Amino acid sequence: MNQPITLSETAARALETELAHLIVEVLHLENKPESIDPLAPLFGEGLGLDSIDALELALAISRRFGIELKSDDERNRQIFASLRALAGHIAAHRTK
Amino acid sequence: MTAPPFALLQRGPEAALFQTPEGQVVRAGAFLAAAARLAQRLPAGVAVLNLCEQRLGFALGFAAALLRGQLSLLSADRSPARLAALVAQAQGGQTESGQTQGVVVLSENAPPGLSHASIQVEPRVCEGEPSVCEGASAVENPVIPPERVVARVFTSGSTGAPVPHEKTWGALTTRSAAACARFGLAAAGPVSIVGTVPAQHMYGFETTLLLAFHAPVSVWCGPAFYPRDIAAALAAMPAPRMLVTTPLQLRALLDAAIALPPLAGIISATAALPLALAERAEARWQTRVFEIFGATEAGSIASRAPSESDIWQAYPGLSFAAEHAGAEDGSVLRVSGPFMAPVALADAVEWLSPESFRLLGRRSDVVKLGGKRASLAGLTRILTAIEGVEDGIFIAPDDLDAASNARLIAFVVAPRRSADDILAALRREIDPLFLPRRVIRLARLPRNEIGKLPQESLMRLAAGNGEI
Repeated sequence: MNQPITLSETAARALETELAHLIVEVLHLENKPESIDPLAPLFGEGLGLDSIDALELALAISRRFGIELKSDDERNRQIFASLRALAGHIAAHRTK
Repeated sequence: MTAPPFALLQRGPEAALFQTPEGQVVRAGAFLAAAARLAQRLPAGVAVLNLCEQRLGFALGFAAALLRGQLSLLSADRSPARLAALVAQAQGGQTESGQTQGVVVLSENAPPGLSHASIQVEPRVCEGEPSVCEGASAVENPVIPPERVVARVFTSGSTGAPVPHEKTWGALTTRSAAACARFGLAAAGPVSIVGTVPAQHMYGFETTLLLAFHAPVSVWCGPAFYPRDIAAALAAMPAPRMLVTTPLQLRALLDAAIALPPLAGIISATAALPLALAERAEARWQTRVFEIFGATEAGSIASRAPSESDIWQAYPGLSFAAEHAGAEDGSVLRVSGPFMAPVALADAVEWLSPESFRLLGRRSDVVKLGGKRASLAGLTRILTAIEGVEDGIFIAPDDLDAASNARLIAFVVAPRRSADDILAALRREIDPLFLPRRVIRLARLPRNEIGKLPQESLMRLAAGNGEI
């Protein structure tokens, strides 16, 4: 919890909610968006996404937020660690 | 060519084999020197389970095993159970031959869960000219006997239980030459290849590793997964550039609003490429799209330009014979070529000539009910042609032949259509015997990372879902 807070808590939670809806919609998941644990892993255990989900999700994030993900990003694993981590990355780098 | 036939590298010492994401050009001489250093670390007489994830590390591991005269075990399936089975099988086989040989694991990182001798591979070669690299002067480019079995590869699981297939050096080498001729690689000058498929898969092994060894081709060694990776990789490589990919990634690349540098060609394999997708790619990038047809047991055997013809043309040097010719469900293709035992494929084809065929479907997909036959691939085509069905497949339950009440199962991705809708649409086109007893709607089919549908994943889904 030592990370600097760059957004208000409210804005951060709102972005998480938006992202959860995007994930469920794009990947056609059975889960309800509000049921996604913001701290649980997105891939493998947790939400259980796979590499093809990653491709789809990257495309959706690029369209919605104007961020192109890439796999040689050293923080790629960190970025996809959880809904909260992904939302944090988007908040810091979004262009739209 | 500056090297004799069947030399490990059919390239001159200064030829660029690979390019790293750091911008280093890996030349043949430096590559051989690094492979020779790794070979010295391999224990004598063992088979090599090459688990390197990075293309350069994997290539070094394969070359090191070649230099030591050792067999490489290659598996695209990295599940712990599969790897343990490969190790057990390799050790068992060696014991039968009267020698106590082992298996050594090669990887960039300590392999998880395998209690075998492992060697860490540094996926890099010396910077600079080969002569400045340690040991480079002593490195030769040896001729490998073409009849030697150099690799054992395993089927990926979509055709049933994993089966080993042995590859001779001669079969691999002559196939590279065939691909080189088919795609005009020599005429195009040194060609840069960005491959989005892993080198551990037979298609990736041939196009992104062996072509670098045997053809005037330089292969990208960095990540090439997301559209942005692929665009960056292509931009980092000199023209002319070719993209070696799958229908899945080609679709993602087309949907992404990302500019690519000029492409000399695109090659797709692992699953049928929809014609519309091929045509979109050709129009978008003003290039040509080719498809390769192959199988783990035979490697790449034929190609076609989908926008020009649906007929597959044999790679130079291979010939096709038809088994069960004239059968109503198509023939089995029997492939012959240099340094390989003839192999029959699991696909149903319309044999046209010793050099050409049309693909009808996977032969193991042929089902028989009430004295009638149907191809699961054919039924799947009908299913996926229904409006609103984005993806789908027909499968036969294991007890189809034994249980009189067993029928087919259809899995569909159709967010806007109900199961009843789909069944009604199918009823219009399919003999009632072959209508699915269950229509299981899914968000996405459980395709693996190369776009295939493992039978076991589908059966698990079938077991876990209720009736509609």
